[in-house]
Amino acid sequence: MIKKIFSYNESYLFFILLAFVIALTIVNPSFFTLENLFDLLKNSAGTAILAMGVFIVLLSGGIDVSFTAIAIAGEYVAVNLLNALGISNIYLAFAISCSLGILLGVINAILISIFELPTLIATLGTLNFFHGALLTFLGTKAVNVGQLPNCFKVFGSKNIFTLIKSDGTQYGLSVYVLILIAVVIISWIILRFTMLGRGIYAIGGNKEAAKRGGFNVVKIQFFIYCYVGFLAGIMGVMHVSLIQYSNPMYIVGDELSVIAAVVLGGASITGGSGSVIGTLLGVSMITILEKNLVLIGLSSYWHKFFIGLIITLGVSATYYQAKVRGRKTLSYLKQKTY
Amino acid sequence: MEGILVEVKNISKNYAGVKALDKVDMVIRKGEVRCLVGENGSGKSTLIKVIAGVENPDEGEITIGGKSHKHIRAIEAIREGIQVIYQDLSLFPNLTVAENISLNYMVEKDRKIINWNEVKNIAQNALREIGEEIDLSDTVGNLSMAKRQIVAICRALIQDAKLIIMDEPTTALTRDDVDHLFSVIKKLKSKGISILFVTHKLSEIFQVSDVVTILRDGKKVGDYKTEDLDNEKLTLLMTGKKIEYINYVYEESKKYKTLLRVENLTRIGHFKNITFDLKEGEILGITGLVGSGRTELALSIFGLNPADSGKIYVNEKLVNIKSPKDAKNLGISYLPEDRLTQGLFLSQSIENNITVTVLNKVLNRFFLIDRAKKKNMSQFWIKNVDIKTPSMELLAQNLSGGNQQKVVLAKWLATDPKIFILDGPTIGIDVASKSNIYKIIKKLASEGMGIIIISDEIPEVLRNCNRIIVMRNGKIIKEIDKVSQIAEDELLNIVIGKEFEGVNL
Repeated sequence: MIKKIFSYNESYLFFILLAFVIALTIVNPSFFTLENLFDLLKNSAGTAILAMGVFIVLLSGGIDVSFTAIAIAGEYVAVNLLNALGISNIYLAFAISCSLGILLGVINAILISIFELPTLIATLGTLNFFHGALLTFLGTKAVNVGQLPNCFKVFGSKNIFTLIKSDGTQYGLSVYVLILIAVVIISWIILRFTMLGRGIYAIGGNKEAAKRGGFNVVKIQFFIYCYVGFLAGIMGVMHVSLIQYSNPMYIVGDELSVIAAVVLGGASITGGSGSVIGTLLGVSMITILEKNLVLIGLSSYWHKFFIGLIITLGVSATYYQAKVRGRKTLSYLKQKTY
Repeated sequence: MEGILVEVKNISKNYAGVKALDKVDMVIRKGEVRCLVGENGSGKSTLIKVIAGVENPDEGEITIGGKSHKHIRAIEAIREGIQVIYQDLSLFPNLTVAENISLNYMVEKDRKIINWNEVKNIAQNALREIGEEIDLSDTVGNLSMAKRQIVAICRALIQDAKLIIMDEPTTALTRDDVDHLFSVIKKLKSKGISILFVTHKLSEIFQVSDVVTILRDGKKVGDYKTEDLDNEKLTLLMTGKKIEYINYVYEESKKYKTLLRVENLTRIGHFKNITFDLKEGEILGITGLVGSGRTELALSIFGLNPADSGKIYVNEKLVNIKSPKDAKNLGISYLPEDRLTQGLFLSQSIENNITVTVLNKVLNRFFLIDRAKKKNMSQFWIKNVDIKTPSMELLAQNLSGGNQQKVVLAKWLATDPKIFILDGPTIGIDVASKSNIYKIIKKLASEGMGIIIISDEIPEVLRNCNRIIVMRNGKIIKEIDKVSQIAEDELLNIVIGKEFEGVNL
């Protein structure tokens, strides 16, 4: 039984996370409270949703760095459009942000599946292209809390239930958690129980074989990049509702920290393996680290350092494993061939 | 036309003016094992692709199950029961055995939702049908090549295969695995499934096939019943010329110095207590099954896989070889087993490939590369090892296997080695080029170079070496000093571990 538990990478991550939480609680007992947990969940839900998208891209053997630009574009366009129309409706905000997200996803998908550009190059290009277009054509003026349509503020502070502390202050579990759960379950079902999802695993494992086996690789890649765009659209609205301030310079720049979370969660940077649970654990780890660096006496600049370290080590580990495996089967010095 | 499964008639195919196939006919009957043989470039792969619908022929027709087609599309071919197992097997290393077997079937049936029980049942049934057992939840990336092969066969089976085409399936298999594969093929045959087996290896043809179709230069030479053929006849038909092998005669003389001496060399998990020596002018064969440690040993001597303990002497001097550079400086060269990934820069010219090991010899007085010197050097070697090419600018990837191997040979000969280790020098090379390479090797040895040939092809070591070492499980189990006194099957039995009683060599 114990052996079985440890045959999953996720188990290690879970125990590391547990140790980390215990250590933090010892340093600061206020860390391990329901209130702090709710707060963490609300603050990390957006990142976790982005991470789901990045996970699926990594699974297919690609990488996407443009999703932050899509998220901020969705958010900023939705806020400005709602203001221009004078409508305050959160569903409309989601519809605008997600549609734009899907549209931008289509652009990525065309470059990647039809023109067959390397995914990193393609999305590095569109990251700047999307963000540049947003700043050029829509401007750089931030929308502050006073100008923000009311629906965002209402949505941002909506709780599923609220509790009252002994000192009389209130805290609650944000609706963000429901959205996150929905996204996680939908992603998991797609990956586990649909041919589309197995196709994503298949092209991540051996793209050529997937083609020969009859998978429609172009269609699958269109789905992947549109899904990432869609999730980025959701995250954009959640983000502005959370901080009640819309600045088109935000979110962009956080790509690596989301990718780091996914890699830390055990997804292989070369595609084909990883899990939804692992991704969630990875996000928890990165978020707790980020929010509590100060607590353990380190400046917030350390966050960048850790993110870089995780990505470098994560990628090294993947390649090192492949090398060791290759040495065992005598094929070392050789490229990965199946 | 009872019993005919596939018939191709008058098939021709041109690639950029080169006739890859020229009016080829072939009939494959139900439940027959057909070998398709021919040298590189004889049109085997093109013919397979035409039957599988991957390439359209310029002329001719294909009749499958009584229906005649001018062209057949890949998906139609699959629906008619034609399955190709390509050399790379096209498996998904990250997925389980069950999924690898069932997934393509589900795609073909246009399923949208996965039913995991169905996936497992389909896979289980396929495995049972050919009497194999593999854990369905194993990840394919962790399986041996032999088991992957079985997975690929099962996948073909469940798509109602009537004809399974196997493109050189034995390249990466050990001898036991090959035997096992052949037993699976026999089972398939007994179920009425036809097999089209493409291979280079003559011994396999006799072991497995009913009928042999021979192609040469895109033309069909003919169909032959396997029992009417022997090695010599087959070679003649494939190459169109008679090839004679002359055993290497090593004249022992006192003036020959010992070039290399290996003492108790050990690398844990790879090989143990290896001791042997190599004299000037010798061709030493090291044979053994895949996994016997033969290649690991060679890599250690060449510094790529340094040994844990033991001593290596070069020219009677104790040396410490930590990297290929050390080895090169000591006059040791190594021709790797896999020339495509380890031996060549495929996208570079012949000239660059040959001179890459000796760039320090083609410098001008400013220590920059002298183009004229480099050209001369490469010209010299192209002539010396007889590389057939219109120009030295041609990229290595555009050469045939035989010529590619000669480029690798030239690259190392240019370093002027005293000791040359050749690992699988003729893997995937056609018969004519093989004999050409053997000639070069023998000439080098007669000029005083010490050569080690590592190979699992018994005839190869027997015909070219004057001394043979047999390895098994990382140890030397036999040294044969007088090669002329051992027969092919005797040596084979030693290699695979079925030693004859009372044989003393």
